[in-house]
Amino acid sequence: MNRQINRPFLSLLFFTALTAMLLTSCSGTNTDSPIYDPFEKYNRHSLKMNDALDKAVLLPIAKGYRAVTPEAGRMVIRNFLRNLNSPVIIGNELLQGDLKGAHDASIRMVVNTLAGFGGILDLASDGGFEYQPEDFGQTLATWGVGDGLYIMIPLLGPSTLRDTAGRFVDSYADPLRTYLFNIEEGHLQYSRTGMEVLSGREELIEVIDDLRKNSFDYYAAVRSAYYQRRQAQIHESGGEMMEIPDYDEFEDE
Amino acid sequence: MTILLKHKAVIVAGVLSVIPVQSVMAMNGGVVLDNQNSLENGYTLVAADEKNKLAQDFIQNIGAQAVSFLGNDNLSEEQKTSQFRALLNDSFDMRTIGRFAMGRHWRGASKEQRSEYLDLFNDMVIDVYAGRFSEYKGQGFEVVSSRADGKKDFLVSSYIVPGNGSKIKLDWRLRHKEGQYKIIDIIIEGVSMSLTQRSDFSSVIQRGGGNVDVLLDHLRK
Repeated sequence: MNRQINRPFLSLLFFTALTAMLLTSCSGTNTDSPIYDPFEKYNRHSLKMNDALDKAVLLPIAKGYRAVTPEAGRMVIRNFLRNLNSPVIIGNELLQGDLKGAHDASIRMVVNTLAGFGGILDLASDGGFEYQPEDFGQTLATWGVGDGLYIMIPLLGPSTLRDTAGRFVDSYADPLRTYLFNIEEGHLQYSRTGMEVLSGREELIEVIDDLRKNSFDYYAAVRSAYYQRRQAQIHESGGEMMEIPDYDEFEDE
Repeated sequence: MTILLKHKAVIVAGVLSVIPVQSVMAMNGGVVLDNQNSLENGYTLVAADEKNKLAQDFIQNIGAQAVSFLGNDNLSEEQKTSQFRALLNDSFDMRTIGRFAMGRHWRGASKEQRSEYLDLFNDMVIDVYAGRFSEYKGQGFEVVSSRADGKKDFLVSSYIVPGNGSKIKLDWRLRHKEGQYKIIDIIIEGVSMSLTQRSDFSSVIQRGGGNVDVLLDHLRK
């Protein structure tokens, strides 16, 4: 059984490391958009589809979810889902060499699982151990792996080559996922993923509405916002500094 | 290959707890530096502290003003909007934001294009922010810190604290000019409004064949 779990994980890790090495050499630089986007044409098409699908299906469901569930209820669900992700976060903190982060995330998991009724209450947060999302894409970044090219993945949304590889690794390395499939309760894993998508979309209702409404080129705005958000998360993980725009060249002459 | 080796080294180093020492040093780095500065150059530090405090107060004050009329039921929607526009007009350095948003295309724009652009941009930003702030539903607003960024800029950190749910991190970039503070950027959870806008504008101009008029057309609508 062990071999079954480990083999795909190891091969993925190897694949990621390989891609990672390739990526570092090809991260593009452009003054106005630091994202390397050679497949822009395809990506724009992909965003159009995602957008249409979102407006037709996901957004209405997310709004419905918000309408029928009070904020406290949504918070409980958010806490529960975040707590389930704790092992992945702890693993990534360790891989980043962040022992304090791993320690804090472990405390969160123990406190919230035991005292927080299986994770529905985030008591650790009140005690100063705040939620800090970590994923393998961020881990790769702290190892010095560049973003690689930007991709708008059908159904999943914006990502980069590095973050996509990270997503695969996180998913396959997740012990809860492996456990659920091993006890043949895979449907629980699908429900979990479904709830994550729904809860995540609900949280972003205003943000995405704002981007849609206030941008002329929605594609460019999404790409920039995604990139910046990731930079900020990586910066928090101790990776490269968040890029701060230099306004000095725009001073009055 | 070297990268892979480095990774191994990092992991090993992490286990040997070399990394925590570094990260602790990094965490305390600012404090240590401040102490050194204060020993060497006490006056500058006091002045910087004073400026940081003023920058913080500036944002606190804007927050308080906004809350006072957004939450005032005696005012009509129109009154709220017009008061709000006035507040935004006073607090934003529109020219700097506008020039930044146009990026490198500013240089290629004619005098007429520039001035029309700045006018249109001004209206747009006021509209956008009036819209954003009007979604304010009485959440808590905490200004937590300020630090100097470059020679004239300050980054003021604040949080929006909803009754339920996670805090939202809001950073304000202020520029100190002629004795006044002006907002030049708002950064929500790491996403800079100015930078996003610049990507948007520059993409519009590029896709329009490098013509600034294409952007102006969008702004006129």
